[in-house]
Amino acid sequence: MSEPLVKMRGITKRFGGVTALSNVDLDAHAGEVLAIVGDNGAGKSTLIKVLTGVYQPSSGEIMLDGRPVAFSNHAEAIEEGIDAVYQTLALADHLDPAANMFLGNELTRKIFGITMLDNKRMRAETERVLMERLGVKLKSLDAPTESLSGGQRQAVAIARAVYHDGLRVLVMDEPTAALGPQETARTLKLIEAVKAQGLAVILISHSLDDVFQVSDRIHVQRRGQCVGVVKTAESNITEVLGMIVGAEEAA
Amino acid sequence: MAMTETTSRSFTERLEPYIAIIGPMVMILAILVFMGIVEPTRYFRTTNLNLILLDAALYMPMAMAMTFVITQRGIDLSIGSIAALSGIIMAFLIKQYGVSVYIAVPIAISLGAVMGLINGLIITRFNVPDLIGTLAMDLVYRGFALVLAKGLVLARFPDFLTDIGRGQIPGFVPIPVLIGLATMIAGYFILHRSYFGRYTVAIGSNPEAAELTGISVNRHKVYAYVLCGACAALAGVMLTGKLNAIQATSAPYFNLHVIAAVVVGGTSLFGGRAAIVGSLAGVLLLSMMINALVTLRIEFFWQSVASGVVIISSVALYTWMQKKDRDGAGGLMAGLNTPEGKKMLRFCAALIGVLIALLAVGLLTAGNPNPSG
Repeated sequence: MSEPLVKMRGITKRFGGVTALSNVDLDAHAGEVLAIVGDNGAGKSTLIKVLTGVYQPSSGEIMLDGRPVAFSNHAEAIEEGIDAVYQTLALADHLDPAANMFLGNELTRKIFGITMLDNKRMRAETERVLMERLGVKLKSLDAPTESLSGGQRQAVAIARAVYHDGLRVLVMDEPTAALGPQETARTLKLIEAVKAQGLAVILISHSLDDVFQVSDRIHVQRRGQCVGVVKTAESNITEVLGMIVGAEEAA
Repeated sequence: MAMTETTSRSFTERLEPYIAIIGPMVMILAILVFMGIVEPTRYFRTTNLNLILLDAALYMPMAMAMTFVITQRGIDLSIGSIAALSGIIMAFLIKQYGVSVYIAVPIAISLGAVMGLINGLIITRFNVPDLIGTLAMDLVYRGFALVLAKGLVLARFPDFLTDIGRGQIPGFVPIPVLIGLATMIAGYFILHRSYFGRYTVAIGSNPEAAELTGISVNRHKVYAYVLCGACAALAGVMLTGKLNAIQATSAPYFNLHVIAAVVVGGTSLFGGRAAIVGSLAGVLLLSMMINALVTLRIEFFWQSVASGVVIISSVALYTWMQKKDRDGAGGLMAGLNTPEGKKMLRFCAALIGVLIALLAVGLLTAGNPNPSG
């Protein structure tokens, strides 16, 4: 495989006396889905928060496309093309999908020299991005986002991330945790669509079924350390489960 | 059975976006019909309608600004004192220092904005909850007004000020009504067409999401309080002009009146749902209600009772309408039959019983009345 798009080397993160991550390496390639699995407190979330600039590593380095990068906040990571879709989706339920998709990044136009939000263009763009990049068509773009189904809300959140042209790495934190089987299938399809466009997708999930269905490689975290990376096609749920709970060690 | 259920549900669903307008409109209509039957001649006189509009105009700018604050899950309890203090300072500038009224009015409004800024900074920088922060600042601003005015009533101002407060365009509506409506229209565009309006809804709807998408939550909160302060000061100027007088104790009921108007109009106290048109309807409704009480020769002090009842009932109504799942509720009284309901009922009965017993004992053992005056 080619040179990884994201290379994290020797990442250590301490919170006071607690070491959340110790010496973790992570590779993510463009056009593949890397799943990160592990028990609660294994350091999954901390690891991606380091990648997305929310936390700064105590030591270690991040390479993006072979170039060392350091983010002091999330906005800088977005600038470099690394964005995340959170489990809560970070949607404002009272706003319509278009307003949510452009939240914090609104399109404007000038009328008599006064800058105004261009609601019409935002709506058209939302419709276009949802259709072209994710293959999703919403029944109504006028209804508030709270009236959408779980999968549709997911689509809006992903559309917001992929609308940014420079996006190269999309991190998804537990996207299927609160969804039923049908909505989960739709969300996994969305992940496939994003991957097919040549983005590196990093998926955090507790559901090994989902992970095996959609991922190319699986990065297993345990107690703040990476205990192995396996190719999904060459592994099975039992083996990964064993790595998560540390079965060999116990035996 | 199933059919009727689906049709009724889709009907309420279709109704929902307009409920903000329909609620106060129905109540306005109810007042109109009631007054049309009971006291049509005096209520529907042009002079009386003018009076209603003149009263409503005073609250329009504040209701507009308060809509933004409440939509952000905030509250501002200091607007009455801001109105009084900026009015007092403006009056002193004009009367004592001979400052031109054309400069004193903008000064008053900027002063209000600064007081709003202080509110906003206290809430966002010192992390004082908005309820406590603005309530405390209400005391502070009122205190300053009392210290400055020393019980004086400042009166007789230049024509420009009385024009703002009660000027009338012949054959048309009063000037303050135009000012009030202009702020409402401006508020409508700010809400729907500006970053500030969009972020206000986002912050109220989901503060964490707003933060995550890179919105400066604190800055936009401060903006809302500044807007509220400036509009309160504008109301203070209008009030000064309307009465042609100002004193430190002016504008005592502004806070709750404005909050009532906004909430009745359908803006959610839980944030995220803004209704500028609803706030306008709410202001009109309250003014019509108070005027109706006056027309019916009901004692002035009842208006406080009426405002409170209107707030409670409209908030309860909106909360009830928000609840999507009403299956198994089984009507209003069903809750009383649960074990928890029975306990509550016994508790209420005991409390009221004690009160009645005490009253009975008090009256039975009563001696000669002893008037305090």
